[in-house]
Amino acid sequence: MLRTTLISLFALSVLGMPLTVQPAAAETKYQRTIENYAMPDVVLVNQNGTKVRLKELMQSNKPVIVDFIFGTCTTICPILSVSFANLQQKLAADSRKVQLVSISIDPENDSPKVMKEYLKRYRAKPGWDFLTGSRADIDKVMYAFNAYIPNKMSHFPLTLIRSSKDGKWIRIFGLMGSSEFLEECRKVGIQ
Amino acid sequence: MKGPGRYGRLRGLSVAFLSGMVFSLFPVVSNSFGETAKRVFSDQERLQRGERMYREGLLPSGEPMQAYVKGDLPVPGTAFTCVSCHLRSGLGSVEGGVVTPPTNGDKLFQPFQLLFKGLEQKYFPLPPRRPAYTDVTLAEVIRSGTTPAGGALNDVMPRYFLEDGDMEDLLFYLKELSSRYSPGISAASLHFATVITDGVNPEDRDAMLAPLEQYIAIKNNQAKAYKAPGNRSRQMAENMLVSKELATRSVTLSRWVLKGPPQTWRKQLEEYNRREPAFALLGGISSGEWKPVHDFSEENHVPCLFPMTDLPVVSETDWYTLYPSKGYYQEGEAAARYLHADGVVPEGGAVVQIMRDSPEGKALATGFRQAWLDAGHPAPTTVTLGAAQTVTGDLLRGITAKKPAAIMVWDGPEMLPALQALATAENRPASVFISARYLDKGLWSVPDQVRPFTYITYPHTFALNVAYSSMGSAKLQEDRQKTLNRANVLIKSKAQEMASLGASLTQLLTMALMDMRGNYYRDTFFDVIGMVADQPSSVFGRLSFGPGQRYASKGCYVVQLSEGPTPELVKKSDWVIH
Repeated sequence: MLRTTLISLFALSVLGMPLTVQPAAAETKYQRTIENYAMPDVVLVNQNGTKVRLKELMQSNKPVIVDFIFGTCTTICPILSVSFANLQQKLAADSRKVQLVSISIDPENDSPKVMKEYLKRYRAKPGWDFLTGSRADIDKVMYAFNAYIPNKMSHFPLTLIRSSKDGKWIRIFGLMGSSEFLEECRKVGIQ
Repeated sequence: MKGPGRYGRLRGLSVAFLSGMVFSLFPVVSNSFGETAKRVFSDQERLQRGERMYREGLLPSGEPMQAYVKGDLPVPGTAFTCVSCHLRSGLGSVEGGVVTPPTNGDKLFQPFQLLFKGLEQKYFPLPPRRPAYTDVTLAEVIRSGTTPAGGALNDVMPRYFLEDGDMEDLLFYLKELSSRYSPGISAASLHFATVITDGVNPEDRDAMLAPLEQYIAIKNNQAKAYKAPGNRSRQMAENMLVSKELATRSVTLSRWVLKGPPQTWRKQLEEYNRREPAFALLGGISSGEWKPVHDFSEENHVPCLFPMTDLPVVSETDWYTLYPSKGYYQEGEAAARYLHADGVVPEGGAVVQIMRDSPEGKALATGFRQAWLDAGHPAPTTVTLGAAQTVTGDLLRGITAKKPAAIMVWDGPEMLPALQALATAENRPASVFISARYLDKGLWSVPDQVRPFTYITYPHTFALNVAYSSMGSAKLQEDRQKTLNRANVLIKSKAQEMASLGASLTQLLTMALMDMRGNYYRDTFFDVIGMVADQPSSVFGRLSFGPGQRYASKGCYVVQLSEGPTPELVKKSDWVIH
């Protein structure tokens, strides 16, 4: 009986194979590496128009998560930002336990006003800063994370998670689902 | 099959919406059996409801649409609208390796062709082939991501929860979206127009039009040559060009000359457009304001690319005019941002604007005021100069007596001699701001004594630094030159400025016509320009674009003039000040 069931299941799975055109959503499609990054000493500006020294923000004793986005981005940024928003929602009152940092790759257009409205759209809570600055400083930050792109329209999805314990960064290239992102967060102590 | 019908229908939407509001007071009607019947919506109302879902992510009930991305990430439709990836025209986008396929009426209901003789292979990864959608399979793919071929869409496409009624309205909208070519398009040509108003210097006008007309002449000669039967070059062009639809079509450009006062322009524009509808307006030049043309474009959904004006309409939501910059307004903004970042004005400190009652003076003062308020400061005091009034030493001393922290003088070069009074004024403010564009050549004769505390908004680049990489793709370097003398100013006359911006306009047009790949819908025109990489400009240094961005030059330096008879401009700020 059991054998017949197993054979039927096998037959079904073989029959089903050609129908699976793309991998299921749950399958991991991103690349993950551990990196060390040296932060450039630049002063950027956040959504409130406040100057922020990047080094100080990055070397906080909280875990830090960084991504690169821009205010009028079409496809990738909304997904990265929904992940940030979702994490903040899960952390609820503890949203300040982790420092989320979105760095603009369109610093000419992303003024504090544009960034503030962007964060509002994703219902961002305290603990999520969107940073802009001079193009030269933004370039330095992109180079520091090995994330330089000359044209914002050819950017790629990148999430960088810094453990406050050893200062190392988890570099994730690709787009994660909610549970994958939360799992990566757990690895650096974000619960 | 393709014609202008949809646009007339969409123009009726506002009327339909209002009538819908009246009817919506009675959302259900009882039949004779006491049951409630579902209200039947007109086509216009259904388009309106579908458009709201597509563009704003809001259900007809006003609630956000609910969706999931990446399998398990819940998102409200307002954070993840259809328009954000599929764009306003529905023709889709390519960004960061993600190809968003078209969802417009013309493409959805026919099989999706991946390749035209291999030409589309430049974009990876390619979206899956599929048969034509039906209402049933389209609803299914929107809800579950399952394609008619049994595959699954990329999981960055949200899966939307939609009730049947809402789904029907969304599908109704998608069927209409970019389903027929826009006006101005025929099998043989693409028709454009350029607006020229009375009183424009003919030299400036011709400088703007020269690059555009040269491109059109070359393009049309090619189209003419390709039209010969059996022409091998044509076959090659159709196979090799990014847009085969463009090979045999010619481009035509009408001059819409507007006469008389600006309040009569709108009527003239409507009449031109009725007689010979243009797909889009290219460039354009005015002796004064641009607002009547802007309003014409906005209300008729006629895109206007790069009108040559320093007095644009400044709006965060208007869609149909893409300006080279915000002009004078942008200089006012730069002054406010520099003053804010500099921190010399104590909290609540007074700032006075002396404003000439002219379009230029008003634009400078409005830009300053808005950016100053946005930075969290109290509104500046404004002193308006009437036509007969000039800036005098007495006026300036009267203002400094109230000890303002900074003074803006938004006036032309006539006011320069009077500025000297400030050098010896008892309560001289820490900084005075003036506009290089308004001063024009007077910029170089700012009195020596006031130069140390006078800051000038300078909206042009010092140097053109372009580094070319392979395949013609330019990576723009920053303008790193710190000083500029008069002899080395890149653009020395209005006609040169028009010629340079005219060349940028022509470059944008050529790229857009290729990138549209035969999708001649007005909204596609600006959708594809929104994806163009930054372009070099000898006027502004860098022109940048992005979805929905409507002012290509985003920067303005704040400079000072060095001392002596042959002074230099010295940069005091970055190009963009935050």
